[in-house]
Amino acid sequence: MPPTDFDAIVVGSGMTGGWAAKELTELGLRTLVLEAGRPITPEQDYVEHKPSWEMPFRGLGDRRATASRQPIQSHSVSFDEMSHVFWTDDVDNPYSTPADRPFSWFRARQVGGKSIIWGRQVYRMSDLDFEANLREGIAVDWPIRYKDIAPWYDHVERFIGVSGQKEGLAQLPDGEFLPPMALNCAEQHVRQRMQERFGRDRVLTIGRVANLTAPHNGRAPCHYCGPCHRGCITRSYFSSVNATLPAARATGRLTLRPFSIVKRLVYDSKKNRVTGVRIIDAQTKQEREYTARVVFLCASALESARILLNSGLANSSGQVGRNIMDHIKWGGAGGQFDGWTDRRVIGERPNGIYVPRFRNVSSRHPDFIRGYGFQGGADRSGWEAALHAPGIGRAFKARLSQLGPWTMSFAGFGEMLPREENRATLHPTLVDAWGIPSLHIDCRWSDNELAIHRDMSVTAAELLEAAGATHIEPSTRGPSTPGGTNHEMGTARMGRDPKTSVLNSWNQTWDVPNLFVTDGAAMTSSSCQNPSLTYMALTARACRYAVDQLKRREL
Amino acid sequence: MERRELIQWLVATAGLRALDGLAPADLFALGRDIHRDTTSHAAGRTLTAHAEQTVAIAAERIIPATETPGATDAGVSAFIEKMLTDWHTPAERERFLAGLQDLDARCRARASRDFVACSEADQVAVLTALDDAHEEWFDRLKYLTVYGYCTSEVGQRALGLFPLPWRYDGCAPVDAAH
Repeated sequence: MPPTDFDAIVVGSGMTGGWAAKELTELGLRTLVLEAGRPITPEQDYVEHKPSWEMPFRGLGDRRATASRQPIQSHSVSFDEMSHVFWTDDVDNPYSTPADRPFSWFRARQVGGKSIIWGRQVYRMSDLDFEANLREGIAVDWPIRYKDIAPWYDHVERFIGVSGQKEGLAQLPDGEFLPPMALNCAEQHVRQRMQERFGRDRVLTIGRVANLTAPHNGRAPCHYCGPCHRGCITRSYFSSVNATLPAARATGRLTLRPFSIVKRLVYDSKKNRVTGVRIIDAQTKQEREYTARVVFLCASALESARILLNSGLANSSGQVGRNIMDHIKWGGAGGQFDGWTDRRVIGERPNGIYVPRFRNVSSRHPDFIRGYGFQGGADRSGWEAALHAPGIGRAFKARLSQLGPWTMSFAGFGEMLPREENRATLHPTLVDAWGIPSLHIDCRWSDNELAIHRDMSVTAAELLEAAGATHIEPSTRGPSTPGGTNHEMGTARMGRDPKTSVLNSWNQTWDVPNLFVTDGAAMTSSSCQNPSLTYMALTARACRYAVDQLKRREL
Repeated sequence: MERRELIQWLVATAGLRALDGLAPADLFALGRDIHRDTTSHAAGRTLTAHAEQTVAIAAERIIPATETPGATDAGVSAFIEKMLTDWHTPAERERFLAGLQDLDARCRARASRDFVACSEADQVAVLTALDDAHEEWFDRLKYLTVYGYCTSEVGQRALGLFPLPWRYDGCAPVDAAH
């Protein structure tokens, strides 16, 4: 019989589960990682170098299979003919929403979770973010400040490898960076012109991205092939499969069990401790129990909330499942430049530009609180511009190899406020393919997010105007669907008071001392920066605390 | 960011095969060799042998072989057959097949013979008229032709998109080699 008792159990093997596995095993704990999905073998499962002509639909995807099995997942920007295997099956994993309030729940079940298919943009939060709720009387105060998490940002960045440019901005603290990727001709020009017009107020920098620009911890630098979301055989971008899980395995203290779907946590009411986890084997559908002294939920914000709700634990505050946040997007603008017709881009940079938040930083906007950042970049179109061009024959064919003008786009990512009524609850009847109750998700934007979305298109056009672009087109798209940015968070928030929050300042549930939640569920506010780096830093920090507590026999 | 979808799907994919350094003439031969099957105009699951020949010739008129390979060399008609059979809806497929019949009808009215038997000049004239009119089925044919060509190995090589450069230069001279 394989062992069933461990020092620690980690639920989930993705962005945060991988970090919990690495930290806990390196700190000496025999750790079981439970992953709902299949194992991943990079040499076999990574498909980033498969050429288009070897795909049955040349990248257009299996339209019929997608419509029948992945109608929700297929809306993710990282979903394509090759990467669809890294997203869940919507039929086996149902959830519901009110008919008039769709919510996109993009989910990954395999070893590595969404860390295989993430966008890899990593930004620190600052005290502008950590103090915001308190300053503005929104929701509850974060129980930590930048100084509490800064060393853990360092710790995570040093391990994962982040390329980026230091800018010295208070609202976007610099980190431990590998050399930055290059801005292209148009982006350099826009950076320069923005500097002349806006000074330090609106800064364009190269994206800070978890892709290596130099050899790092035994992993090779990026070779600019492009489709990172299909895997990376050179391990050049950070994922748990590429980095944290191998580190955990190297300790000899890791046990990884794929196909393990958590049904509920096992709780001893006399001791007020979780004693373990009850799982359903995804293949055999048999139930099993594993025991441990401490349990970390790293299953993603909504899945971790679902596990807590299905277990009836850690919810004396009534806040589990509430305060769902995402980032609002689809505001922005695009424009053209007349110059550099003798220049082009070679290679696929897995990264774009970033314009850190500038609203409500040094002045106060009349229409909304908080703010947004821009991602985007410049390039020249190639043959795809000819798909709808007129003509046939030799002259038409010549268009296929002609480059279009340089175009530059800015796409906003806006902060969402935590609101209790944005909530996931257990569905009274709907269950997944393993009989586990599913979620009903009720979430919508508030007026503040909608005002942010409108402002994005105005300021993006201003940036392009300042840069001398022509054909400037502000976005006419309405706001994205909540959840659509795949930055869902907040469903078991940290706080200072057990009455109004689920977790304390160490990601420990107030109600059950040996139960921790360290994925996006812990977020007290969303800031506007991509959140994964913060999840990872909180996880590493919580692991150190938990191990210290175990050593003092206080768990 | 939204435009990444197509561009990343297509341009950013490449294999590690060592077929570098072939001269254009070799490429022609390679393309014809690879796609010999498709020039025999066999019936597929959706297209009859006649329809397949019609599609293959129309695609070649849209993207002809010049100094570089054309649609036939790139096996575009096999891709179109695959898409019609396994990707498009029955209604889309029916409209496309009706369009092929309309193409023959136009050719018979103009030159008293089916499209495949017309002179190249007549074929080009009829296809140009369909292109100008933005007939839905023809727009689909043209889209699939361009897409099929540009995502084929022959097309990717002809366009200088394959093999991949394995580096990034954001401000390279237009005529710079990878």
